[in-house]
Amino acid sequence: MTTRTQQAGTPGAVASGAAVALAGLRKHYGEVRAVAGIDLVISPGEVVALLGPNGAGKSTTVDMMLGLTRPDAGEVRVFGQQPRDAVTSGTVGAMLQAGALLDDATVAETVGLVAALHRAPMPVGEALDRAGVADLARRRCGRLSGGEKQRVRFAVALVCDPDLLVLDEPTVAMDVAGRRGFWQAMHAYTETGRTVLFATHYLEEAENYADRVVLIRAGRIVADGSVAQVRAAVSGRTVRAVVPGATEPALAGLPGVTNVQLRAGRAVLHCADSDATVRALLAAYPDAHDIEITSAGLEDAFLALTGNPEEHR
Amino acid sequence: MNIKYLALETRRVIRAPRFLIFTVGFPVVFYLLFSNLYGNQGGAAEQAATRAWIMAGMAAFGALTAAVSTGTRIATERGAGWQRQLRLTPLSGGAYLVTKALVGMLVSVGPLLLVCAVGAATGVRLDAAAWAQLVIGTWLGLLPFAVLGVLIGQLSTPDSVQPIGSATFMLLSIGGGLWFPPELMPTWLNRLAHVLPSFWYGGIGRDAVGHQGVTMQTVLVLGVWTVGLALVAARRYRADTARV
Repeated sequence: MTTRTQQAGTPGAVASGAAVALAGLRKHYGEVRAVAGIDLVISPGEVVALLGPNGAGKSTTVDMMLGLTRPDAGEVRVFGQQPRDAVTSGTVGAMLQAGALLDDATVAETVGLVAALHRAPMPVGEALDRAGVADLARRRCGRLSGGEKQRVRFAVALVCDPDLLVLDEPTVAMDVAGRRGFWQAMHAYTETGRTVLFATHYLEEAENYADRVVLIRAGRIVADGSVAQVRAAVSGRTVRAVVPGATEPALAGLPGVTNVQLRAGRAVLHCADSDATVRALLAAYPDAHDIEITSAGLEDAFLALTGNPEEHR
Repeated sequence: MNIKYLALETRRVIRAPRFLIFTVGFPVVFYLLFSNLYGNQGGAAEQAATRAWIMAGMAAFGALTAAVSTGTRIATERGAGWQRQLRLTPLSGGAYLVTKALVGMLVSVGPLLLVCAVGAATGVRLDAAAWAQLVIGTWLGLLPFAVLGVLIGQLSTPDSVQPIGSATFMLLSIGGGLWFPPELMPTWLNRLAHVLPSFWYGGIGRDAVGHQGVTMQTVLVLGVWTVGLALVAARRYRADTARV
């Protein structure tokens, strides 16, 4: 089940003009197939969420995109460059998962150091401002909270002034307020037309902050499109209504209904075509009331598409 | 080579309490302790000679500790994911290792000069040439140990690096005759000591206070050690990056 808004490059061919082009990407770790053939083209200016459960291959894909891991097969281009060249030229900035700060260096030193290593960095103060850590500049990294550390790492990723920002589970150690602050900072950055790819397993973040969602599972892309499209990929809406005198078999017989639950006169109908269902429902049961129609959330799509039962609560 | 990177790395090392206490403080304390225990025997000339000898040993010990332990920080930084972060910058892995060795050389200046200053303040008298040989010669002789520190940092884990590093500089400094004269060693140990780079390294300072120059053999042995250790470190570095 794959829907695409962008035409992915055919394997072996790497699209020109793309911010990111992955073609036929594969990576094995011993017996484990971490990435089992990924084709993905991201256009400049897109904000893309790489969404999937833990172990789906998100981090491996990100590592290959950054040249930290060499693919077994396939090609990676970042703005037409090899990953290492993209890193060296400051085209790509990244926030990796876990660690990656020196406890005994201050925030300003850490960001300043990374800036000094790059060829055309933005001013350190600007990076600190954008990441919302200017007031922490003189603090040692070892004395930061989890959320503060993440924002400092965001500043580290920003300071090379990249065209593409890659974030691997950026909000994983943050509380709700920290997360909101982080995404505000991110949004301000993407408004300047930069391309962002972020890996996450928070559906809400993908839903709220990405233009495009790439769902990945067991090393493969299982859905790719706008939030609305991915949601539609599991199709359907849910109709809830109080239907006096109805029985489950009767309701299941209505047009467009795929699944019925009836409890104490209250029906929950999963529908492929909710418009047809509602028309027929009202014709058959004129005193049906409290009718509610909802579309399936991305969460439903996520569960349906990544469907490994023990992954979900 | 990135100067700002070198400067930050150096600053990080020298402001760490552990560095100030163990690497700079200890050699000074030991010099004062030993020179008071053994430096009051015989006439004035003999006293001065003994103090000079202890000073040379402790200065070399402090500098060696500084050089080796700086490189061992590599293991900790790898464990913290910092190396991965650096790989997202134009800094090459080779430049990272070379910087670490250079930082080891730079921070060793601290204990080396401090022990010598305390020595001069407590009655050690040497002529200019001897001071120059003691300070500059000893410092240059540190090169293989700075490289050794890098190699230990590459080979060990964050958990194991501390004991491995400490054991290395303790054994090297004892075997190298920095704590007591090689002439007092049992014959077998004395023979073994000649294989160690620290024996020749310590010899630079010992010869300086004994009014002898640096022999060609010393330069040669330390040079061979440096090149050998650097080759192993480079090989290890290539293996590390190939595994990516």
